[in-house]
Amino acid sequence: MNGLRAVGLVALREIKERGRSRAYIFSTIFTLILLAGVILVPRMIDGGGTTYTIGVVGEGGAEIVETADAASVAAAKDPEEADRYEVREFDDIAAAEAALEEDEVEAIIVDGRELVGGPAGAFGGSDVERVLQQAAGTRRVQDLVASNEEAAEVVELLSSEPLAVRRLGGADVEDQAVRGFVAFGGLILMYVAILTYGAWMLSGVTEEKTNRVVEVLLSTLRPWHILGGKLLGIGALGLMQIVLLIVMGAVAVVLTGAFDIPRVPVDSLIALIGWFILGFLLYAIIYGAAGSLVSRMEDAQSTAGPLTIIALIGYFFSFAALNDPTGTVAIVGTYVPFSAPYVAPIRLAIGEISPWEMTLSVVITILTIVLLVRLAGRVYAGGLLRYGARVRWLEAFRSAE
Amino acid sequence: MLEIIDLHKRYGDVVALDGCTFEVRPGRMLGFLGPNGAGKTTAMRTVFGLVRPDQGEVRWNGEPVDADTRLRFGYMPEQRGLYPKMKAHDQLVYMGRIHGMSKKDATAAADHWLDVLGLADRRNSPTETLSHGNQQRVQLATALVHDPDLMVLDEPFSGLDPIGVDTMAEILRDQARAGKAVVFSSHQLDLVEDLCDDVAIINHGRIVLAGNVKQLKDAAPIRHLELEMDGPVDEVLAALDGVRSSEVVDGRHIVVVDATTDVRRVLVEAERSGVVRHFVYSSPSLTDLFREAVA
Repeated sequence: MNGLRAVGLVALREIKERGRSRAYIFSTIFTLILLAGVILVPRMIDGGGTTYTIGVVGEGGAEIVETADAASVAAAKDPEEADRYEVREFDDIAAAEAALEEDEVEAIIVDGRELVGGPAGAFGGSDVERVLQQAAGTRRVQDLVASNEEAAEVVELLSSEPLAVRRLGGADVEDQAVRGFVAFGGLILMYVAILTYGAWMLSGVTEEKTNRVVEVLLSTLRPWHILGGKLLGIGALGLMQIVLLIVMGAVAVVLTGAFDIPRVPVDSLIALIGWFILGFLLYAIIYGAAGSLVSRMEDAQSTAGPLTIIALIGYFFSFAALNDPTGTVAIVGTYVPFSAPYVAPIRLAIGEISPWEMTLSVVITILTIVLLVRLAGRVYAGGLLRYGARVRWLEAFRSAE
Repeated sequence: MLEIIDLHKRYGDVVALDGCTFEVRPGRMLGFLGPNGAGKTTAMRTVFGLVRPDQGEVRWNGEPVDADTRLRFGYMPEQRGLYPKMKAHDQLVYMGRIHGMSKKDATAAADHWLDVLGLADRRNSPTETLSHGNQQRVQLATALVHDPDLMVLDEPFSGLDPIGVDTMAEILRDQARAGKAVVFSSHQLDLVEDLCDDVAIINHGRIVLAGNVKQLKDAAPIRHLELEMDGPVDEVLAALDGVRSSEVVDGRHIVVVDATTDVRRVLVEAERSGVVRHFVYSSPSLTDLFREAVA
């Protein structure tokens, strides 16, 4: 039979059976809910300002609170959602302090000179103290300006615009923030994806061996048909989840305005998907070979242990790359195939990788995959029909053709 | 015709096959017999390329067997292999398709076999929810779905109830009648004797007896003797020479003797010294042949 047709049949079965399994459907829904939560919940908590009531005793306090209120509204992107400060007048300190103890007011200003707060936690934990102190200062400057022309000039000078920030490489500051988010999100996604889909590969192969289907399959299919079909099938299912996640994530971010995005970094997202495919193949091939070495599900994790550690090391490499995208660790990580799927897309997202570096990294990874297909494919073929105790890697490799 | 020619296979110090040679002809059923560990499963797996022999080869219609040839073979391994969560019908369609069938043909064949095996109403049940006997039926169907020219079944009758045995036997008989070559291994010698045209008996990796069951029996240098009588049976039998083996089953003495032994003397002696209730002198049973061959 045509090899491609055989691979296609195996892949199709994998997609059909696994794709409609509860585990797959639930995990897809669960990740989407999680994603929605990550993007939407902070937005909801953040949404709408808080109104702080400030107790005022004597002269001068009301003006400070009004100044604070005006400053807060002026500073907010959306005036509707700004924190607000309102005045509540008291006739004497005792009444005001009673109200403070009852949490009816956040703080008390006495005669425009003294700020009284509640117990440390309530008062110190909020921005209220800082805001009121600033407002008091502003108020004094405004009073001074009103009575003195020279002072007005000084204030004018002091309140000039801050420096405009621009970086080489084109990305402005906000773009940079989005790219940082994409890099970090992509890193986590890559790690979770490699371990999750690697585990599917591992258990899928071991399962066929455990329930001996593989003997019937191998009576007509070559080992590489099965391994290739499985990679393709599980890869397609994984890719579907990842793309769904990325697209939904991008849509949610744009719709909710969780980030002030000048533009969605499409190149980064595409590179992320491309690297997901490479990273998946790289790891899943070995997971598949590992799965062929054991006859029982319980043994599968132990064979895959070293591989999981390698994935973890790659993951830590990428944190170094995130902090210092042109540092030695990042550069080395770009060319080590097992960390490249993490490091390269991060460096691209941050905008700190040159086209030739990226190309070299991709080529090295692809060559490694090609080599692994041969090596791991042979281990797989050798391991599949050996039942009982766990087969050693070398032993399986030697026993195949 | 399937030819298994001079197969040798060794696993470390263990010799699994040691010059195993036999053939399975189209339209005939061959019982592949041998004690546990004699090499039956290894030989069968060699046919499907699951074991690579150190020496020797497997031929189909005169040509060495390759992946394309195997598409026309059906295999039921000793350890049953089905996807536990896959529906019975889907499973059969998949097995049909990996044997090169189109989706349409595979679907029709799957329906047909589920029907024949009385599983039509379990069509969409995951196989893990089926009873042991029904799983066995599905397993048989996976070996049949692509209408193979050769069927190789490793212990197809083990674990079946008498009804299941009858169904399985009937299907295999039909396959042989339809011109397929059928070979199966079994320890149920009575069943094999009843069902098979030919047998091959393997011991220590080598075929020790092979051929047409009836001819083997007639040509065997041994005879089967049964005697039950009131009287000094032990004394009567002591006069026999050329005794290969003897046992007593429910008071009936069953003795295997050389074909050259003159048993008339025994019958005369028995009638003289007591009352003979049961006397049989016949060609050996398959069980006799088997014991003799692997002794």
